[in-house]
Amino acid sequence: MSSPGKSGFSFSKFPEGGLIVVIIALGLLLAIFGGSVRLPKFEVTPDGKRVRVFETNPDGRKVPAFETVNKFFNARTIVQIAKDTSFFAIMAVGMTVVIITGGIDLSVGAIYALASVSGALVFSPYGPSGGGGATVVGILVTIGVATLLGFLNGAMITAFKVHPFIITLGTMAIYRGIAFVQTNGQSIGGFPEAFRTFVRQEYNGLSLVPLIVMIIVVIVGGIFLSQFATGRKVYAVGGNEIASRYSGIRVGRIKLLAYSISGFVAGIAAVLSLGYYGAGSSGDGQGYELNVIAATVVGGASLVGGKGTALGALLGAIILQMISNGLVILNIPQNYSQIVIGVVVIAAVLLDQFNAVLAKRRLLAKASSIKKEVVRSSDSHVSLKPKTT
Amino acid sequence: MAFLSVEHISKTFPGVRALDDVSVDFEKASVHALMGENGAGKSTLGKIIAGVYTPDQGIIKIEGREIKPTDPRIAQGLGIALVHQELAFCPNMTVAENLLLGGFPTNAGFMDWGKLREKARSLLHEIGSDIDVDTPLAQLTTGQEQMVQIAGAVGVNARIIIFDEPTSSLSTNESEHLFELMARLKARGVAMLYVSHRMDEIFRVCDTITILRDGKHVATEPIAQTNRDRLIRQMVGREVLMKRPKHLDQQPGEEILRVENLSSTGKFENVSFKVCRGEIVGMGGLVGAGRTEVATAIFGLDPRATGEVYIKGVKLPLGNVNEAMRRRLALLPEDRKRAGLVLGMSIMDNVSLAHIDHFSQMGFIDRGRELTEVEKLTKRLRVKAPNLETITAGLSGGNQQKVALAKWMVRDCDLLIVDEPTRGVDVGAKAEIYELLDEVACQGLAILMISSELPELLNLSRRVVVLREGFVTGELSHEKFSQEAVLELMA
Repeated sequence: MSSPGKSGFSFSKFPEGGLIVVIIALGLLLAIFGGSVRLPKFEVTPDGKRVRVFETNPDGRKVPAFETVNKFFNARTIVQIAKDTSFFAIMAVGMTVVIITGGIDLSVGAIYALASVSGALVFSPYGPSGGGGATVVGILVTIGVATLLGFLNGAMITAFKVHPFIITLGTMAIYRGIAFVQTNGQSIGGFPEAFRTFVRQEYNGLSLVPLIVMIIVVIVGGIFLSQFATGRKVYAVGGNEIASRYSGIRVGRIKLLAYSISGFVAGIAAVLSLGYYGAGSSGDGQGYELNVIAATVVGGASLVGGKGTALGALLGAIILQMISNGLVILNIPQNYSQIVIGVVVIAAVLLDQFNAVLAKRRLLAKASSIKKEVVRSSDSHVSLKPKTT
Repeated sequence: MAFLSVEHISKTFPGVRALDDVSVDFEKASVHALMGENGAGKSTLGKIIAGVYTPDQGIIKIEGREIKPTDPRIAQGLGIALVHQELAFCPNMTVAENLLLGGFPTNAGFMDWGKLREKARSLLHEIGSDIDVDTPLAQLTTGQEQMVQIAGAVGVNARIIIFDEPTSSLSTNESEHLFELMARLKARGVAMLYVSHRMDEIFRVCDTITILRDGKHVATEPIAQTNRDRLIRQMVGREVLMKRPKHLDQQPGEEILRVENLSSTGKFENVSFKVCRGEIVGMGGLVGAGRTEVATAIFGLDPRATGEVYIKGVKLPLGNVNEAMRRRLALLPEDRKRAGLVLGMSIMDNVSLAHIDHFSQMGFIDRGRELTEVEKLTKRLRVKAPNLETITAGLSGGNQQKVALAKWMVRDCDLLIVDEPTRGVDVGAKAEIYELLDEVACQGLAILMISSELPELLNLSRRVVVLREGFVTGELSHEKFSQEAVLELMA
């Protein structure tokens, strides 16, 4: 028996490879067909301020300088896409954990909204003058509320033994309803500046905080799923719940954890949104659950359970966002994006199924070749017929 | 010429050879029993004739002409009907609607309710049943539901009816109805295949018996020429030359497991026995005797079990798997695909699954240690696979079983319960598993082995506890072993 890892690279061992190829292809497409655009030129002064660059035109007057850049392939657009992606990608990591257990969480958008509103209600009284303490309390409350809501989902799913679709369909309405009742449907703003500047701080005019948080969530989620014993149990529960129970895995606890994680990351996304947009309302994140599920599924998670990765969730979210922003870049009306995204989701799943069929065939071929070997190597008096497949 | 004949039928599922070159003839106006233990291939044969499965090889003939029932619908058109346990009905529709599901009578596109009821009534009348056709199916008893299914099957002018364990969920009274019906169908010239585990029924209603074992045809005999013992022997009495296990030569050590008055309503009653260090205790009985249920109850998987289980003299709380594992119990389940393995996971992940925390530090899996230990075990058990990352779904039955066993050898345990350890396993792997069980018993493990194969049970065990319909009917020690003695307790 050979040890693992010795065989060469194959897509079955790195399923995200295909997604990366798709992203690169999409990027090339947008870079080539997007054309170019004239953007005002900025520079950073020695004291760290961004100022317009001026140049002298042939008439001798000073005018603002412009530069011509590729419509897609420029730092501004890419960071913009990354920021738009980050909310979905962060939540998609949690959704992936839930979907691996064989469940689903329809309430993430509502959790996001209720957590936002709860956070906003904490931030708001401090006002713009609130400082670091207010920031910490607000962040903790937002994430804490979200985690608790996820925990409640998991508790009800395991206690009542009702399908997660039903429970989270119910809590989707309940959580958003609570957010509405809490705020009377009003948007709540006026947050501490310390908090807002923390989330909105820019490097070279680029807002990188959501991007960095997203990367951290994906890395932590990835390590949890692939390197932690508990992560392995998450896959086992989704792969075969009965066998997991027979192996002494506390299935209920794993599910509880999965839904709590889903809530937790929705809370992180809510914090970013509060800081970035400076307001929270019960209407926040409407329909996000579907975008998040779409990203997860495009990223290779299977609704049957037992399959999916954090990196896949990130890449799935990037692909969907690239398509939605890409249509703008290609001057196709934004309204078409819904149609395209729908097609992409179905295509991604079909591709995945096709891949699984191929993998299964390879596997069977391999298994029967092993069997033949066994027959050949066994003693002649053992009458085992070679398989004819 | 036989009315229906199957010739050289073979069928392989991933990892199992379900049928291997089976040829049987079935006659008109007769009930032909298909007997065999679980996994013998009897249901598979029935399903192939009924078009549920397509055989890999072999042909099916009706009156000498080859038929190809590639689809249950095609089979139905040929007059072949399957009556099986998993009732394929819409529970929220009425009896009438269910009976005519394939072709509702209509009038200009509207449902013709009158005709629907009338047709349904005549179908039921055909089999002598007077169930109200307007009852929603969900309100019927299992027996009535089955009558509806049979009515549907017979109604399409069935010439061949395959009954797959029809009485397993029926009351005695309901079974009687079924047998009367079968007699009437026989009088009409219908050929019937009857799959059942119940000996009494077989001898009452069947004319011919075919015995299958591990997918192979063992014998086809008229009922008059056989008897119970002969039948059981043909079903389970594989002659396998086995070495005398070494553990028999050592004295058993201290008591590891003591079961006292273990009961679970509807499954088994007042089961008591014990297992000591260094011995293999066999548990015999026919399918449905409650052996698997006893094993799962000991392992804490039956929350409703009552009675007492002691591990090394200390009481084990029931219904708690983790506590059972902490007290060093291990269970190799009967159905490895359902309960033994996560088929979509690799060999490595499956082997380390039950003790993944043991491989972890601060929650992190120590991959290096996992690899070394799992590799050591798979080498010891001689698992044949390209590498440890191989997905278990594609392994042969024997290799799957070795992986499922290896899972419980990651950490030392005191009591290993193995439920049908060699089911669906090829001859070579079987011998290896016997040797392994003997070896670990010699090293001081207590083993409780459930098996439907008598030679396996008699050769490997120091003692055999026999269950029958949920009760312990006796315990035999190695000196008193004989197939006859065990058979007497089983039947």
